[in-house]
Amino acid sequence: MSGQRKGIWDYLEDIPREVLYAVLLVFFVAPMIYPLGLPVPITANVRKWYATIDALQPGSVVMIDFGYSGGGEPELGPMAVVVYKHLFQKEGVKVICMSTSIEGTQLWDKAMAEINPSRYGAEYGVDYIHIGYIAGGETAMAAIGKDLRATTSTDYHGDPLDQFPIMEGIVDATSFDLLICYTTGGDQSEGWVRQWYTVYGTPYMCSVLAMMVPTMLPYMNAGQIISVTSGAQAGEMESLVRAPARGIKSADVITLTHILCLAYVVIGNVAYLAKKSQGGGK
Amino acid sequence: MSTTLKKTIPVAIVFVVAMLVMMDYFIVTPPTDAAGKSWTSGAVKDLQNWGIILTAFSLGFGAVNLFYFHSKHISRRTPKQWMFSLWLLLVIVTFTVVGVFMGPNSTSYQWLYNASYFALSATVYSSLGFYMTSGLYRALRFKNIESAIFMVVGVIVLAKNAPALAVYYPALAAWGSFIENVLTTSAQRGIMIGGALGAISLGIRTMTGRETGFLGKLTEEEKGGGTA
Repeated sequence: MSGQRKGIWDYLEDIPREVLYAVLLVFFVAPMIYPLGLPVPITANVRKWYATIDALQPGSVVMIDFGYSGGGEPELGPMAVVVYKHLFQKEGVKVICMSTSIEGTQLWDKAMAEINPSRYGAEYGVDYIHIGYIAGGETAMAAIGKDLRATTSTDYHGDPLDQFPIMEGIVDATSFDLLICYTTGGDQSEGWVRQWYTVYGTPYMCSVLAMMVPTMLPYMNAGQIISVTSGAQAGEMESLVRAPARGIKSADVITLTHILCLAYVVIGNVAYLAKKSQGGGK
Repeated sequence: MSTTLKKTIPVAIVFVVAMLVMMDYFIVTPPTDAAGKSWTSGAVKDLQNWGIILTAFSLGFGAVNLFYFHSKHISRRTPKQWMFSLWLLLVIVTFTVVGVFMGPNSTSYQWLYNASYFALSATVYSSLGFYMTSGLYRALRFKNIESAIFMVVGVIVLAKNAPALAVYYPALAAWGSFIENVLTTSAQRGIMIGGALGAISLGIRTMTGRETGFLGKLTEEEKGGGTA
C-alpha cells in the first residue's frame, strides 16, 4: 500500500485516535454546558430500590457503606447523594454510615455538603451518623455485624458513640432493617452478601460501577440482593425522588456518548466491509 | 530456625483459627449463651478485631516501607526515578502532617484531598472512557461469526444503556434484560462457582500445610516435600 493514495474507506477504517477522542470530548462537554433534557427511563431495578426505601417504617435503621474511592465518585457520588435525600425525606428513618474504603469519610463529607441534611431537618447524631473507616474489608463487615461497639466505640470525629441518641439499641447486624453499599470494589459488594445477608438475612441493595453490574447479577437473581444499580442510573433515581442534580445532567452525556459509540461502530464496519468488497480487507 | 517454628506452629495456628471462624459461621456449637450465641462467638469476635487492627497496622507499615524504599532511590539519585520518589515522600509527609495536626476532617485536609488526590483519581478513571471508545471502534468489526456475535451483543448493550434510546425503543430493555439475566448471569455463575471451588481447595491446602506460600521462603525439606 505504501506510495498509494489513501481512499476514504482507508481513513474511515482507521480513524486516528486523536480524532475519536476529540469528537468524544465535544459530546462530553456540550450537554454539560447546554443540558438537552433528554428523557430518562425508570428501570425495574431502580424502581425496586426506590420502593424498598419508600416502604421503610418510622424507626427503621439503615446501614450504609461508603465504600467507593475518589475515582468512582463522579459515577457513584450522585447516586449516594440522591438516596440519602430519599432517606432523609422518610419520617423517623435512622441512617448509620461506615466506610470500607479509606477515602470513604472524605467522600461522605463531600456528599453531606451537597445534600445539606439540615434542609430536611436531619440532625447529626440523631438522624444520621458516620462511624468511620473500618479497616479489614470483609473482616470489618463480619466484626461490625457481630458486635458494632466491640469494633468501634467512636464516630469518625472520635466522639464516643454512646453520646449519640441514634446509637441507642444498635448492637449488631440484627439491629438494621436495610443495608446499602456503594462501592468500586467487588470484594465489598460481594462481601456484604456473605457476611450480612447470608448470616443475618439483612435486606441488601448495592450500587456499583456500571462495569461491575454483571458480576453482581447472579446474587440479585438468586434473591440475595434486592436491587443492583449502577451509579450511572442516578438520573433515574433523581427523577423518582424529584431531586434533579448531577445524575440527570450526566444522563444526557451518557445518551450522547453512547450514540457516538454506536456511530463509531457503524462507521468502522461500513468502512471495513466496503474495503473488503473492493478486495482490500484484512 | 527449626521446621517446627517455621512451618508447624504457623500452620497449626492457621488451622485452629480457620476452624473456629468456619464453625462460628456455619453452625451454632453448644454450649450457647443466654442470647443463643455459640461459645465460638466471643473468640471469633476477638479474632476479627485483631484482624482489623492488623490491617490498620499494615497501612502504617506500608507507609514506613515506602519511606525505606524511596529514600534509597533519593540517596542514590537513581536516574529517572529519584525526583518522583522525592515528590511521593513530600506528598506523604504533607498529608500526614495536615491529617495528624489539623485532623482528617479539617477544612485544610479536605481541600488538600479534593484539590489533589480526588481530582487526579477521578481524571485517571474517567480517561478510561476515551480508551474504551477507541477500543470498541477497532474491536467491534464484522470479521467472522464470533466477532459478529460479539458486535451484536455489544451494540444491543450499548444502545440499552443509553437512557434516551431505551425510552424511544422499549424493545431494547427486553433484549438487554435477556442478555444480562440469562446469558451474562449463567456465565458469571460458572465463573463464580469455579472460583469458589478453587478458594475452598486453596483453603484446605493452606490449613493442612500443603500450601506454604504465606510462610515465606522455605526449603523443599521444610515444605515437607523432601528431595525428589
